[in-house]
Amino acid sequence: MNKKEQLLIKHVEQLNEEEVLKLSDELLKEGMAPLRLLDLVNEGMNRVGKLYESKDYYIADLIMAGLIFKQVLELDKMTAHFRVKHNNKIGKVVLGTVTGDIHDIGKDIFRGMLEANCFEVVDLGVDVPKEVFLKKCEEYQPDILGLSGVLTNTVDTMKEIVDVFKETGVRDKVKIIVGGNHLTKEVCRFIGADNFANDASSGVRICKKWMDGINESERRVIDNG
Amino acid sequence: MADAKALAQERTQLFHDIIDGRIPKRVPVFVGFPVEFAIQYAGKDLVEAQWDTSQLEEIFDKVCRDFYSDLLPVNAFRFPSFYRILGARNFVMGSNGFLQHPEVEGLLQEEYDDFIANPYNCIIEKILPRLYTELDTDASTKALTLAKAFKAFQDEMGNAIMIYGKLTEKYGYGDTNFFAGFTEAPLDFVADQLRGFKGISTDMRRVPDKVEAAAEAATPLMIKAGLHPIPPSKYNATFIPLHMAPFMRTSDFERFYWPSFKKLVEALAEAGHPSHLFVEQDWMRYLDYLYELPENTVMRFEYGDPKLVKEKLGQKHIISGFYPISLLKTGTKQQCIDKARELIDILAPGGRYYFDFDKAPVTLDSVNVENTRAVLEFVATNANY
Repeated sequence: MNKKEQLLIKHVEQLNEEEVLKLSDELLKEGMAPLRLLDLVNEGMNRVGKLYESKDYYIADLIMAGLIFKQVLELDKMTAHFRVKHNNKIGKVVLGTVTGDIHDIGKDIFRGMLEANCFEVVDLGVDVPKEVFLKKCEEYQPDILGLSGVLTNTVDTMKEIVDVFKETGVRDKVKIIVGGNHLTKEVCRFIGADNFANDASSGVRICKKWMDGINESERRVIDNG
Repeated sequence: MADAKALAQERTQLFHDIIDGRIPKRVPVFVGFPVEFAIQYAGKDLVEAQWDTSQLEEIFDKVCRDFYSDLLPVNAFRFPSFYRILGARNFVMGSNGFLQHPEVEGLLQEEYDDFIANPYNCIIEKILPRLYTELDTDASTKALTLAKAFKAFQDEMGNAIMIYGKLTEKYGYGDTNFFAGFTEAPLDFVADQLRGFKGISTDMRRVPDKVEAAAEAATPLMIKAGLHPIPPSKYNATFIPLHMAPFMRTSDFERFYWPSFKKLVEALAEAGHPSHLFVEQDWMRYLDYLYELPENTVMRFEYGDPKLVKEKLGQKHIISGFYPISLLKTGTKQQCIDKARELIDILAPGGRYYFDFDKAPVTLDSVNVENTRAVLEFVATNANY
């Protein structure tokens, strides 16, 4: 890795917005492949994630990191490249804040971090009724369904959503993760979700682990077939 | 009625004792059930009952009858009527009839300088019309709309306060008020109402000097808001729900959050008004800061280590909270009671503690009612000194 590449990672890690954008632009102009640039920015984002886990960074920092990442993706050369290439996605997630709850911050951070980790995300927005979750999952066939909520009463709402997936016989077609500060292991079991997360980065870790399992078993099917 | 009076005296004494640094007869209980919970508990329609507040007394009465508390356990901060008249964007109802605070941007990033130069004028001229769409109009229509909204506000609050008085008398609640006034930490105000959570998070990196100056500029207004009309008394506190600090780096907290917040709490204390903080999320890395606040600041904690809090703050401040309402939803009755016992064993020694949950259950299905009642009864009858 050359000096400029190391510097880019460092700027992402330190959330130096202007420097990241300037240097990214420069590297692209010098002929760097967009995928390579994405790898470097992702490495910086991983370091941000580690700083979050070590409690040096907090949610406000993750929001800033997400914004920097988004802006890099929006650079002309990046959009031109990624518009035609979609085959680098590791999994598909349908995501939304559940009925009755209009909070979107946690969901948006989670979405940004999923995208930074090469997930394709279908964001249904806030205050999403169970019927819509069901319909959109039929339509998009995601690997993972993410249910977000801030209000304490979303526990029952999340359970209702999981229940409707059970009732219609499609529960086992999708992994369900619930996200919110008020969720615990016991609550997750009560809801009937596969797992839960109190913050976006642990949520992404769970999703990646699931995809490792899913992609691995798919590879095995292909190999055996 | 005589019984209720005697009961009220006894309960007042419990709170006076913890505030005056004496060991009370038993651990006082003060829990709060928001209006949404109360409406659902009374079996009423959430949307209808928030609009037609003539049913409010009956609704609150049922909560007071069935849930133990030494101070009035019901309150309503917000009603949809005045927010609707104003066309509010900062408080809107979800599809389930629950009033919520969405992300709003009352102030654009490029307008920071206007706010810093003259916050009051900036609020009137720029921020209010943006947060309240019905104020985004000509001066006379604006004045009429504001007058209408304030009439609705006074009517609703007047009605609510009258009900509080009746219920306090009927059930013999103690005469201590931890919601005598309301204000926000200056940076929380800048975040919640002016720039939004996402906005302030990026501003701290992009325009740090302006964020610092804006919090500073908001401080006199936040002090003024917190000086409630109830005569100063160490038994009546101004409520300050804290928001942004746990989501920030410590170095950002030290620069953007703490100085103006400390100034606010100190100014209120100097005027004779203690503060009642809802210490949202986990503040364990800020305990040394909280220690610095004026003696007898009431602090209700959501998450964290109760032992550490007792050890660091228990001699100087009034501690409460920590009881996880999620357990009331999922635990057995025995588990719920055991948890109460565990917390009381940690927090009660030496006094300066009252029992409360870690947060208010916003709706009926946030908790199991039987567990909730059992825990409150348990604390009320078993937590003797």
